[in-house]
Amino acid sequence: MPKSLIEIAGLSKRFEVPGRGAHLALTDIDLSVREGEFVSLLGPSGCGKSTLLYMVGGFVAPSSGEIRVSGKPVREPGPDRGPVFQEFALFPWKTVLQNVMYGLTVQKVPAQEAKQRAEALLRKVGLADYAGFYPKQLSGGMRQRVAIARTLAYEPRILLMDEPFGALDAHTRTTLQNELLDIWERDRKTVLFVTHGVDEAVYLSDRVVVMSGSPGRVLRVADIDLPRPRVRTQLLTDPRYQQYVLELEALLDHARAPETTE
Amino acid sequence: MKQGPPRFSALRQVWRRNWRTVLACAALLLIWQAAALWLKREELPSAWETLRDVPVILSSGEDVLGILASLRRMALGFGLGLLVAVPLGLAMGRSKPLARLLNPLTALAYPIPKAALMPIIMLWLGIGDLSKVLVIFMGVSLPLLYHSSQGAEQVDDKLIWSAQAMGMGQVARLLRVILPAALPEVMLGCRVAVSIALITMISSEMIARQNGAGNLLFNAMDMAIYTDVYAVILIIAVIGVVLDVLMERLRVALTHWADTLQPGSTS
Repeated sequence: MPKSLIEIAGLSKRFEVPGRGAHLALTDIDLSVREGEFVSLLGPSGCGKSTLLYMVGGFVAPSSGEIRVSGKPVREPGPDRGPVFQEFALFPWKTVLQNVMYGLTVQKVPAQEAKQRAEALLRKVGLADYAGFYPKQLSGGMRQRVAIARTLAYEPRILLMDEPFGALDAHTRTTLQNELLDIWERDRKTVLFVTHGVDEAVYLSDRVVVMSGSPGRVLRVADIDLPRPRVRTQLLTDPRYQQYVLELEALLDHARAPETTE
Repeated sequence: MKQGPPRFSALRQVWRRNWRTVLACAALLLIWQAAALWLKREELPSAWETLRDVPVILSSGEDVLGILASLRRMALGFGLGLLVAVPLGLAMGRSKPLARLLNPLTALAYPIPKAALMPIIMLWLGIGDLSKVLVIFMGVSLPLLYHSSQGAEQVDDKLIWSAQAMGMGQVARLLRVILPAALPEVMLGCRVAVSIALITMISSEMIARQNGAGNLLFNAMDMAIYTDVYAVILIIAVIGVVLDVLMERLRVALTHWADTLQPGSTS
Protein backbone atom coordinates (compact mmCIF):
# COMPACT_ATOMS: atom_id res chain seq x y z
CA MET A 1 0.00 0.00 0.00
CA PRO A 2 1.63 3.30 -1.10
CA LYS A 3 1.89 5.98 1.54
CA SER A 4 -0.66 8.77 1.24
CA LEU A 5 0.52 12.07 -0.19
CA ILE A 6 -2.33 14.21 1.11
CA GLU A 7 -3.71 13.59 4.59
CA ILE A 8 -6.70 15.54 5.84
CA ALA A 9 -7.80 15.00 9.45
CA GLY A 10 -10.67 16.53 11.43
CA LEU A 11 -10.86 19.49 9.11
CA SER A 12 -13.52 22.16 9.45
CA LYS A 13 -14.03 25.64 8.09
CA ARG A 14 -16.14 28.36 9.64
CA PHE A 15 -16.76 31.68 7.86
CA GLU A 16 -17.61 34.80 9.79
CA VAL A 17 -20.54 36.46 8.03
CA PRO A 18 -20.79 40.11 9.13
CA GLY A 19 -24.07 40.64 11.00
CA ARG A 20 -25.15 37.02 10.77
CA GLY A 21 -22.59 35.25 12.93
CA ALA A 22 -20.63 32.24 11.83
CA HIS A 23 -21.41 29.92 8.95
CA LEU A 24 -20.07 26.38 9.17
CA ALA A 25 -19.00 25.51 5.63
CA LEU A 26 -17.20 22.23 6.26
CA THR A 27 -16.98 19.88 9.21
CA ASP A 28 -15.31 16.59 10.19
CA ILE A 29 -13.46 16.09 6.93
CA ASP A 30 -11.10 13.10 6.93
CA LEU A 31 -9.52 12.07 3.69
CA SER A 32 -6.27 10.72 2.38
CA VAL A 33 -5.06 10.69 -1.18
CA ARG A 34 -2.26 8.46 -2.43
CA GLU A 35 0.52 9.53 -4.76
CA GLY A 36 -0.61 9.29 -8.38
CA GLU A 37 -4.27 9.00 -7.54
CA PHE A 38 -7.01 10.85 -9.40
CA VAL A 39 -9.63 11.85 -6.81
CA SER A 40 -12.78 13.85 -7.47
CA LEU A 41 -14.71 15.90 -4.94
CA LEU A 42 -18.34 15.65 -5.99
CA GLY A 43 -21.22 17.48 -4.38
CA PRO A 44 -24.06 19.95 -4.72
CA SER A 45 -23.19 23.62 -4.99
CA GLY A 46 -22.47 25.14 -1.60
CA CYS A 47 -21.16 21.91 -0.07
CA GLY A 48 -17.70 23.43 0.42
CA LYS A 49 -15.86 21.23 -2.06
CA SER A 50 -14.03 24.20 -3.57
CA THR A 51 -13.21 25.53 -0.11
CA LEU A 52 -11.72 22.14 0.74
CA LEU A 53 -9.57 22.35 -2.40
CA TYR A 54 -8.46 25.90 -1.56
CA MET A 55 -7.42 24.74 1.91
CA VAL A 56 -5.28 21.96 0.43
CA GLY A 57 -3.78 24.65 -1.81
CA GLY A 58 -3.02 26.79 1.25
CA PHE A 59 -5.05 29.68 -0.16
CA VAL A 60 -7.63 29.50 2.63
CA ALA A 61 -6.79 28.63 6.25
CA PRO A 62 -8.80 25.90 8.01
CA SER A 63 -10.64 26.74 11.24
CA SER A 64 -9.63 23.46 12.84
CA GLY A 65 -8.04 20.18 11.88
CA GLU A 66 -4.99 19.62 9.76
CA ILE A 67 -3.87 19.03 6.21
CA ARG A 68 -0.53 17.38 5.54
CA VAL A 69 1.12 17.12 2.15
CA SER A 70 4.10 14.73 1.98
CA GLY A 71 3.92 14.61 5.77
CA LYS A 72 4.30 18.38 6.21
CA PRO A 73 1.43 20.53 7.45
CA VAL A 74 0.10 22.97 4.86
CA ARG A 75 0.64 26.59 5.92
CA GLU A 76 0.76 28.47 2.63
CA PRO A 77 0.60 27.89 -1.11
CA GLY A 78 3.60 26.25 -2.73
CA PRO A 79 4.76 25.05 -6.14
CA ASP A 80 4.17 21.42 -5.11
CA ARG A 81 0.41 22.11 -5.44
CA GLY A 82 -0.60 23.69 -8.75
CA PRO A 83 -4.11 25.12 -9.04
CA VAL A 84 -6.31 25.26 -12.15
CA PHE A 85 -9.43 27.40 -11.72
CA GLN A 86 -12.79 27.46 -13.47
CA GLU A 87 -12.18 31.13 -14.36
CA PHE A 88 -8.79 30.23 -15.93
CA ALA A 89 -7.11 33.10 -13.96
CA LEU A 90 -4.55 33.76 -16.70
CA PHE A 91 -2.47 36.92 -16.52
CA PRO A 92 -4.27 38.96 -19.19
CA TRP A 93 -1.31 41.31 -19.78
CA LYS A 94 0.95 38.44 -20.72
CA THR A 95 0.95 36.45 -23.92
CA VAL A 96 0.14 32.75 -23.98
CA LEU A 97 3.86 31.84 -24.00
CA GLN A 98 4.67 34.33 -21.22
CA ASN A 99 1.84 32.93 -19.11
CA VAL A 100 3.16 29.39 -19.42
CA MET A 101 6.74 30.55 -18.77
CA TYR A 102 5.77 32.66 -15.78
CA GLY A 103 6.01 30.03 -13.06
CA LEU A 104 9.42 29.01 -14.35
CA THR A 105 10.60 32.62 -14.43
CA VAL A 106 9.44 33.07 -10.84
CA GLN A 107 11.45 29.99 -9.90
CA LYS A 108 14.50 31.47 -11.65
CA VAL A 109 14.75 28.87 -14.39
CA PRO A 110 17.04 30.39 -17.09
CA ALA A 111 14.99 32.19 -19.75
CA GLN A 112 16.09 29.96 -22.63
CA GLU A 113 15.22 26.76 -20.81
CA ALA A 114 11.92 28.21 -19.57
CA LYS A 115 10.97 29.15 -23.11
CA GLN A 116 11.79 25.69 -24.45
CA ARG A 117 9.80 23.97 -21.74
CA ALA A 118 6.85 26.31 -22.24
CA GLU A 119 6.88 25.77 -26.00
CA ALA A 120 6.94 22.00 -25.51
CA LEU A 121 3.91 22.24 -23.22
CA LEU A 122 2.06 24.45 -25.70
CA ARG A 123 2.66 21.81 -28.35
CA LYS A 124 1.31 19.21 -25.92
CA VAL A 125 -1.96 21.14 -25.50
CA GLY A 126 -2.14 21.99 -29.21
CA LEU A 127 -1.56 25.73 -28.89
CA ALA A 128 1.92 26.09 -30.41
CA ASP A 129 0.55 28.48 -33.03
CA TYR A 130 -0.96 30.78 -30.42
CA ALA A 131 2.18 31.53 -28.38
CA GLY A 132 2.05 35.27 -29.15
CA PHE A 133 -1.68 35.71 -28.52
CA TYR A 134 -3.16 37.46 -25.51
CA PRO A 135 -5.72 35.56 -23.40
CA LYS A 136 -8.57 37.84 -24.50
CA GLN A 137 -8.01 36.67 -28.08
CA LEU A 138 -8.65 33.02 -27.18
CA SER A 139 -11.80 30.95 -26.68
CA GLY A 140 -12.67 29.53 -23.27
CA GLY A 141 -11.36 26.08 -24.13
CA MET A 142 -8.07 27.49 -25.38
CA ARG A 143 -7.69 29.64 -22.27
CA GLN A 144 -8.17 26.62 -20.05
CA ARG A 145 -5.55 24.69 -22.05
CA VAL A 146 -3.14 27.57 -21.45
CA ALA A 147 -3.99 27.58 -17.74
CA ILE A 148 -3.34 23.84 -17.51
CA ALA A 149 -0.04 24.22 -19.39
CA ARG A 150 0.93 27.11 -17.11
CA THR A 151 0.41 24.94 -14.04
CA LEU A 152 2.07 21.84 -15.53
CA ALA A 153 5.09 24.00 -16.45
CA TYR A 154 6.41 24.25 -12.91
CA GLU A 155 5.81 20.55 -12.35
CA PRO A 156 3.70 20.44 -9.21
CA ARG A 157 3.34 17.03 -7.54
CA ILE A 158 -0.37 17.68 -7.09
CA LEU A 159 -2.86 19.27 -9.48
CA LEU A 160 -5.72 21.07 -7.73
CA MET A 161 -8.49 21.49 -10.28
CA ASP A 162 -11.51 23.59 -9.32
CA GLU A 163 -14.35 22.78 -11.77
CA PRO A 164 -11.85 23.45 -14.54
CA PHE A 165 -14.27 22.56 -17.33
CA GLY A 166 -17.39 24.05 -15.70
CA ALA A 167 -17.42 27.19 -17.82
CA LEU A 168 -17.00 25.37 -21.14
CA ASP A 169 -19.59 24.10 -23.61
CA ALA A 170 -20.34 20.36 -23.63
CA HIS A 171 -18.24 19.55 -26.69
CA THR A 172 -15.16 21.47 -25.51
CA ARG A 173 -15.56 19.96 -22.05
CA THR A 174 -15.44 16.42 -23.48
CA THR A 175 -12.36 17.26 -25.55
CA LEU A 176 -10.54 18.72 -22.57
CA GLN A 177 -11.48 15.78 -20.35
CA ASN A 178 -9.87 13.46 -22.88
CA GLU A 179 -6.78 15.64 -23.16
CA LEU A 180 -6.47 15.78 -19.39
CA LEU A 181 -6.68 11.97 -19.19
CA ASP A 182 -4.01 11.67 -21.92
CA ILE A 183 -1.67 13.95 -20.00
CA TRP A 184 -2.45 12.20 -16.74
CA GLU A 185 -1.83 8.71 -18.20
CA ARG A 186 1.67 9.84 -19.16
CA ASP A 187 2.93 11.25 -15.87
CA ARG A 188 0.32 10.11 -13.31
CA LYS A 189 0.35 13.21 -11.20
CA THR A 190 -1.85 13.27 -8.13
CA VAL A 191 -5.05 15.11 -9.03
CA LEU A 192 -7.71 16.56 -6.76
CA PHE A 193 -10.62 17.48 -9.02
CA VAL A 194 -13.70 19.43 -7.92
CA THR A 195 -16.84 18.90 -9.99
CA HIS A 196 -20.59 18.71 -9.74
CA GLY A 197 -20.87 16.43 -12.78
CA VAL A 198 -21.35 12.75 -11.89
CA ASP A 199 -20.34 11.42 -15.30
CA GLU A 200 -17.24 13.62 -15.33
CA ALA A 201 -16.23 12.36 -11.87
CA VAL A 202 -16.73 8.69 -12.81
CA TYR A 203 -15.05 9.04 -16.19
CA LEU A 204 -11.88 10.63 -14.81
CA SER A 205 -11.40 9.36 -11.27
CA ASP A 206 -9.93 6.47 -9.31
CA ARG A 207 -12.03 7.54 -6.36
CA VAL A 208 -14.98 9.87 -5.96
CA VAL A 209 -15.58 11.67 -2.67
CA VAL A 210 -19.30 12.46 -2.45
CA MET A 211 -20.08 15.41 -0.22
CA SER A 212 -23.31 16.75 1.24
CA GLY A 213 -24.05 20.36 1.95
CA SER A 214 -24.63 22.72 4.90
CA PRO A 215 -22.35 21.97 6.55
CA GLY A 216 -20.22 20.09 4.03
CA ARG A 217 -19.35 16.54 5.06
CA VAL A 218 -17.98 13.48 3.34
CA LEU A 219 -21.00 11.33 2.58
CA ARG A 220 -19.18 8.46 0.93
CA VAL A 221 -15.94 7.64 -0.84
CA ALA A 222 -16.54 5.47 -3.88
CA ASP A 223 -13.81 3.47 -5.63
CA ILE A 224 -14.22 3.62 -9.39
CA ASP A 225 -12.94 0.29 -10.56
CA LEU A 226 -12.85 0.81 -14.30
CA PRO A 227 -9.96 -0.18 -16.58
CA ARG A 228 -7.48 2.43 -17.84
CA PRO A 229 -6.72 3.96 -20.23
CA ARG A 230 -10.39 4.86 -20.40
CA VAL A 231 -12.12 5.40 -23.69
CA ARG A 232 -15.36 7.35 -23.44
CA THR A 233 -17.21 5.51 -26.21
CA GLN A 234 -16.45 2.14 -24.61
CA LEU A 235 -17.31 3.34 -21.12
CA LEU A 236 -20.72 4.66 -22.08
CA THR A 237 -21.86 1.13 -22.93
CA ASP A 238 -20.08 -0.47 -19.96
CA PRO A 239 -22.69 -1.60 -17.39
CA ARG A 240 -20.23 -0.98 -14.52
CA TYR A 241 -19.85 2.65 -15.63
CA GLN A 242 -23.62 3.02 -15.81
CA GLN A 243 -23.94 1.44 -12.37
CA TYR A 244 -21.46 3.92 -10.83
CA VAL A 245 -23.22 6.86 -12.42
CA LEU A 246 -26.62 5.68 -11.20
CA GLU A 247 -25.38 5.04 -7.65
CA LEU A 248 -23.65 8.38 -7.38
CA GLU A 249 -26.62 10.23 -8.86
CA ALA A 250 -28.80 8.66 -6.16
CA LEU A 251 -26.30 9.65 -3.48
CA LEU A 252 -26.18 13.20 -4.81
CA ASP A 253 -29.99 13.41 -4.72
CA HIS A 254 -29.77 12.34 -1.11
CA ALA A 255 -27.06 14.95 -0.49
CA ARG A 256 -29.20 17.68 -2.00
CA ALA A 257 -32.30 16.69 -0.01
CA PRO A 258 -31.56 18.68 3.21
CA GLU A 259 -31.13 21.79 1.12
CA THR A 260 -34.53 21.52 -0.52
CA THR A 261 -36.42 20.76 2.70
CA GLU A 262 -34.78 23.70 4.46
CA MET B 1 -12.97 57.82 -56.28
CA LYS B 2 -9.50 58.95 -57.34
CA GLN B 3 -6.74 58.48 -54.82
CA GLY B 4 -4.66 61.59 -54.11
CA PRO B 5 -0.92 61.48 -53.40
CA PRO B 6 -0.21 59.67 -50.12
CA ARG B 7 0.59 62.84 -48.20
CA PHE B 8 -2.81 64.31 -49.00
CA SER B 9 -4.72 61.15 -48.27
CA ALA B 10 -3.04 61.09 -44.84
CA LEU B 11 -4.14 64.67 -44.30
CA ARG B 12 -7.64 63.77 -45.41
CA GLN B 13 -7.71 60.99 -42.84
CA VAL B 14 -6.69 63.34 -40.04
CA TRP B 15 -9.40 65.74 -41.18
CA ARG B 16 -12.02 63.02 -41.33
CA ARG B 17 -11.25 61.98 -37.75
CA ASN B 18 -11.01 65.47 -36.23
CA TRP B 19 -13.26 67.79 -38.21
CA ARG B 20 -15.73 68.13 -35.36
CA THR B 21 -13.02 69.27 -32.96
CA VAL B 22 -11.65 71.75 -35.50
CA LEU B 23 -15.15 73.05 -36.18
CA ALA B 24 -15.97 73.45 -32.48
CA CYS B 25 -12.74 75.37 -31.82
CA ALA B 26 -13.31 77.59 -34.85
CA ALA B 27 -16.88 78.33 -33.74
CA LEU B 28 -15.70 79.27 -30.24
CA LEU B 29 -13.03 81.60 -31.63
CA LEU B 30 -15.60 83.21 -33.95
CA ILE B 31 -18.06 83.83 -31.12
CA TRP B 32 -15.22 85.25 -29.01
CA GLN B 33 -14.13 87.50 -31.86
CA ALA B 34 -17.66 88.73 -32.49
CA ALA B 35 -18.29 89.38 -28.78
CA ALA B 36 -15.03 91.31 -28.45
CA LEU B 37 -15.77 93.44 -31.49
CA TRP B 38 -19.27 94.12 -30.30
CA LEU B 39 -18.47 94.88 -26.62
CA LYS B 40 -15.28 96.84 -27.39
CA ARG B 41 -13.96 96.48 -23.83
CA GLU B 42 -10.36 96.45 -22.73
CA GLU B 43 -10.98 93.44 -20.45
CA LEU B 44 -12.00 91.34 -23.45
CA PRO B 45 -9.37 91.45 -26.16
CA SER B 46 -10.37 89.82 -29.42
CA ALA B 47 -9.51 86.23 -30.26
CA TRP B 48 -7.27 87.37 -33.08
CA GLU B 49 -5.23 89.71 -30.86
CA THR B 50 -4.89 86.97 -28.25
CA LEU B 51 -3.77 84.35 -30.76
CA ARG B 52 -1.21 86.79 -32.15
CA ASP B 53 0.08 87.34 -28.64
CA VAL B 54 0.76 83.63 -28.02
CA PRO B 55 3.93 83.42 -30.19
CA VAL B 56 5.12 86.71 -28.64
CA ILE B 57 4.95 85.17 -25.18
CA LEU B 58 6.50 81.93 -26.39
CA SER B 59 9.41 83.79 -27.92
CA SER B 60 10.28 85.44 -24.62
CA GLY B 61 13.01 83.33 -23.05
CA GLU B 62 12.03 84.33 -19.54
CA ASP B 63 8.38 83.41 -19.96
CA VAL B 64 9.19 80.06 -21.58
CA LEU B 65 11.65 79.25 -18.79
CA GLY B 66 8.90 80.10 -16.32
CA ILE B 67 6.43 77.76 -18.01
CA LEU B 68 9.08 75.03 -18.16
CA ALA B 69 9.74 75.51 -14.44
CA SER B 70 5.99 75.04 -13.89
CA LEU B 71 5.97 71.84 -15.91
CA ARG B 72 9.01 70.56 -14.07
CA ARG B 73 7.32 71.07 -10.69
CA MET B 74 4.20 69.44 -12.04
CA ALA B 75 6.17 66.44 -13.26
CA LEU B 76 7.97 66.16 -9.91
CA GLY B 77 4.74 66.34 -7.92
CA PHE B 78 3.06 63.85 -10.23
CA GLY B 79 6.03 61.49 -10.18
CA LEU B 80 6.22 61.63 -6.41
CA GLY B 81 2.48 60.88 -6.31
CA LEU B 82 2.99 57.83 -8.53
CA LEU B 83 5.83 56.55 -6.35
CA VAL B 84 3.98 56.98 -3.05
CA ALA B 85 0.22 56.92 -3.69
CA VAL B 86 0.01 54.08 -6.21
CA PRO B 87 1.80 51.41 -4.10
CA LEU B 88 -0.01 52.61 -0.98
CA GLY B 89 -3.36 52.53 -2.81
CA LEU B 90 -2.69 49.03 -4.13
CA ALA B 91 -1.83 47.86 -0.60
CA MET B 92 -5.03 49.48 0.72
CA GLY B 93 -7.05 47.65 -1.91
CA ARG B 94 -5.66 44.32 -0.76
CA SER B 95 -5.52 44.87 2.99
CA LYS B 96 -8.75 45.60 4.83
CA PRO B 97 -7.03 46.73 8.08
CA LEU B 98 -4.87 49.21 6.15
CA ALA B 99 -7.91 50.50 4.26
CA ARG B 100 -9.86 50.90 7.52
CA LEU B 101 -6.95 52.84 8.98
CA LEU B 102 -6.45 55.22 6.06
CA ASN B 103 -9.98 55.65 4.65
CA PRO B 104 -11.10 58.19 7.30
CA LEU B 105 -7.97 60.25 6.63
CA THR B 106 -8.47 60.32 2.87
CA ALA B 107 -12.16 61.10 3.34
CA LEU B 108 -11.16 64.12 5.44
CA ALA B 109 -8.50 65.19 2.97
CA TYR B 110 -10.74 64.94 -0.11
CA PRO B 111 -12.85 68.09 0.25
CA ILE B 112 -9.93 70.32 1.27
CA PRO B 113 -8.66 72.34 -1.70
CA LYS B 114 -4.98 71.48 -1.62
CA ALA B 115 -4.04 75.03 -2.62
CA ALA B 116 -5.73 76.22 0.60
CA LEU B 117 -2.88 74.55 2.49
CA MET B 118 -0.35 76.58 0.54
CA PRO B 119 -0.08 79.43 3.10
CA ILE B 120 0.76 76.98 5.89
CA ILE B 121 3.23 75.09 3.76
CA MET B 122 4.85 78.36 2.77
CA LEU B 123 5.33 79.17 6.44
CA TRP B 124 7.32 75.98 6.85
CA LEU B 125 9.05 75.55 3.54
CA GLY B 126 9.13 78.98 1.97
CA ILE B 127 7.78 80.03 -1.41
CA GLY B 128 10.21 77.99 -3.51
CA ASP B 129 9.82 74.82 -5.55
CA LEU B 130 9.57 72.56 -2.52
CA SER B 131 6.25 74.03 -1.32
CA LYS B 132 4.73 73.91 -4.78
CA VAL B 133 5.86 70.37 -5.54
CA LEU B 134 4.47 69.29 -2.18
CA VAL B 135 1.06 70.84 -2.92
CA ILE B 136 0.92 69.24 -6.37
CA PHE B 137 1.93 65.94 -4.81
CA MET B 138 -0.92 66.20 -2.30
CA GLY B 139 -3.35 67.11 -5.06
CA VAL B 140 -2.51 64.14 -7.28
CA SER B 141 -2.18 61.66 -4.43
CA LEU B 142 -5.87 61.40 -3.57
CA PRO B 143 -7.21 60.35 -7.00
CA LEU B 144 -4.21 58.06 -7.46
CA LEU B 145 -4.81 56.52 -4.04
CA TYR B 146 -8.52 56.09 -4.71
CA HIS B 147 -8.23 54.55 -8.18
CA SER B 148 -5.30 52.32 -7.20
CA SER B 149 -7.15 50.91 -4.23
CA GLN B 150 -10.31 50.42 -6.29
CA GLY B 151 -8.31 48.66 -8.98
CA ALA B 152 -6.47 46.44 -6.51
CA GLU B 153 -9.67 45.52 -4.70
CA GLN B 154 -11.20 44.26 -7.94
CA VAL B 155 -8.29 41.94 -8.75
CA ASP B 156 -9.51 38.34 -8.78
CA ASP B 157 -8.16 36.38 -5.79
CA LYS B 158 -7.44 33.48 -8.11
CA LEU B 159 -4.97 35.53 -10.11
CA ILE B 160 -3.06 36.19 -6.90
CA TRP B 161 -3.35 32.58 -5.76
CA SER B 162 -1.95 31.41 -9.09
CA ALA B 163 1.10 33.62 -8.53
CA GLN B 164 1.38 32.48 -4.91
CA ALA B 165 1.38 28.84 -5.97
CA MET B 166 4.27 29.60 -8.33
CA GLY B 167 6.19 30.73 -5.25
CA MET B 168 5.95 34.49 -5.75
CA GLY B 169 6.51 36.56 -2.60
CA GLN B 170 4.31 39.33 -1.26
CA VAL B 171 6.17 42.37 -2.63
CA ALA B 172 6.62 40.74 -6.03
CA ARG B 173 2.89 39.96 -6.13
CA LEU B 174 2.05 43.60 -5.47
CA LEU B 175 4.29 44.83 -8.29
CA ARG B 176 4.02 41.99 -10.81
CA VAL B 177 0.43 40.84 -10.39
CA ILE B 178 -1.71 43.38 -8.55
CA LEU B 179 -0.20 46.45 -10.25
CA PRO B 180 -0.62 45.19 -13.83
CA ALA B 181 -4.06 43.71 -13.07
CA ALA B 182 -5.17 47.04 -11.58
CA LEU B 183 -3.44 49.09 -14.28
CA PRO B 184 -6.57 49.95 -16.32
CA GLU B 185 -8.08 51.54 -13.20
CA VAL B 186 -4.75 53.11 -12.10
CA MET B 187 -4.45 54.75 -15.52
CA LEU B 188 -7.91 56.29 -15.12
CA GLY B 189 -6.62 57.73 -11.86
CA CYS B 190 -3.54 59.07 -13.66
CA ARG B 191 -5.73 60.91 -16.11
CA VAL B 192 -7.71 62.59 -13.33
CA ALA B 193 -4.44 63.32 -11.52
CA VAL B 194 -2.90 65.08 -14.52
CA SER B 195 -5.66 67.67 -14.64
CA ILE B 196 -5.51 68.10 -10.87
CA ALA B 197 -1.74 68.53 -11.11
CA LEU B 198 -2.25 71.31 -13.64
CA ILE B 199 -4.84 73.03 -11.45
CA THR B 200 -2.74 72.83 -8.27
CA MET B 201 0.35 73.89 -10.18
CA ILE B 202 -1.33 77.12 -11.37
CA SER B 203 -2.99 77.86 -8.01
CA SER B 204 0.24 77.30 -6.07
CA GLU B 205 2.03 79.74 -8.36
CA MET B 206 -0.74 82.27 -7.97
CA ILE B 207 -0.30 82.13 -4.19
CA ALA B 208 3.49 81.84 -3.98
CA ARG B 209 4.41 84.17 -6.83
CA GLN B 210 7.95 83.61 -7.93
CA ASN B 211 7.90 82.26 -11.46
CA GLY B 212 5.89 79.93 -13.66
CA ALA B 213 2.68 80.04 -15.65
CA GLY B 214 0.47 81.12 -12.74
CA ASN B 215 2.86 83.95 -11.90
CA LEU B 216 2.92 84.99 -15.56
CA LEU B 217 -0.85 85.17 -15.55
CA PHE B 218 -1.07 87.32 -12.45
CA ASN B 219 1.76 89.64 -13.45
CA ALA B 220 -0.12 90.40 -16.66
CA MET B 221 -3.26 90.89 -14.60
CA ASP B 222 -1.48 93.32 -12.23
CA MET B 223 -0.17 95.32 -15.14
CA ALA B 224 -3.58 95.18 -16.81
CA ILE B 225 -2.16 93.68 -20.02
CA TYR B 226 -5.32 91.72 -20.75
CA THR B 227 -4.18 90.25 -24.06
CA ASP B 228 -1.35 88.57 -22.15
CA VAL B 229 -3.78 87.27 -19.52
CA TYR B 230 -5.94 85.61 -22.17
CA ALA B 231 -2.96 84.34 -24.12
CA VAL B 232 -1.45 82.70 -21.02
CA ILE B 233 -4.79 81.07 -20.21
CA LEU B 234 -4.87 79.77 -23.77
CA ILE B 235 -1.35 78.36 -23.43
CA ILE B 236 -2.28 76.66 -20.15
CA ALA B 237 -5.39 75.19 -21.77
CA VAL B 238 -3.39 73.81 -24.68
CA ILE B 239 -0.83 72.31 -22.29
CA GLY B 240 -3.70 70.68 -20.42
CA VAL B 241 -5.24 69.22 -23.58
CA VAL B 242 -1.89 67.94 -24.86
CA LEU B 243 -1.09 66.26 -21.52
CA ASP B 244 -4.54 64.68 -21.43
CA VAL B 245 -4.23 63.32 -24.96
CA LEU B 246 -0.75 61.96 -24.19
CA MET B 247 -2.05 60.30 -21.01
CA GLU B 248 -4.93 58.72 -22.92
CA ARG B 249 -2.53 57.41 -25.58
CA LEU B 250 -0.34 55.98 -22.84
CA ARG B 251 -3.33 54.35 -21.18
CA VAL B 252 -4.44 52.64 -24.38
CA ALA B 253 -0.88 51.54 -25.13
CA LEU B 254 -0.37 50.09 -21.65
CA THR B 255 -3.74 48.34 -21.31
CA HIS B 256 -4.40 47.09 -24.84
CA TRP B 257 -4.57 43.56 -23.41
CA ALA B 258 -7.57 44.33 -21.19
CA ASP B 259 -10.85 42.62 -21.99
CA THR B 260 -12.76 45.87 -22.20
CA LEU B 261 -11.08 49.14 -23.03
CA GLN B 262 -13.13 51.88 -21.47
CA PRO B 263 -13.76 54.62 -24.00
CA GLY B 264 -11.86 57.78 -23.15
CA SER B 265 -13.72 59.47 -20.35
CA THR B 266 -12.80 60.91 -17.01
CA SER B 267 -14.56 59.15 -14.21
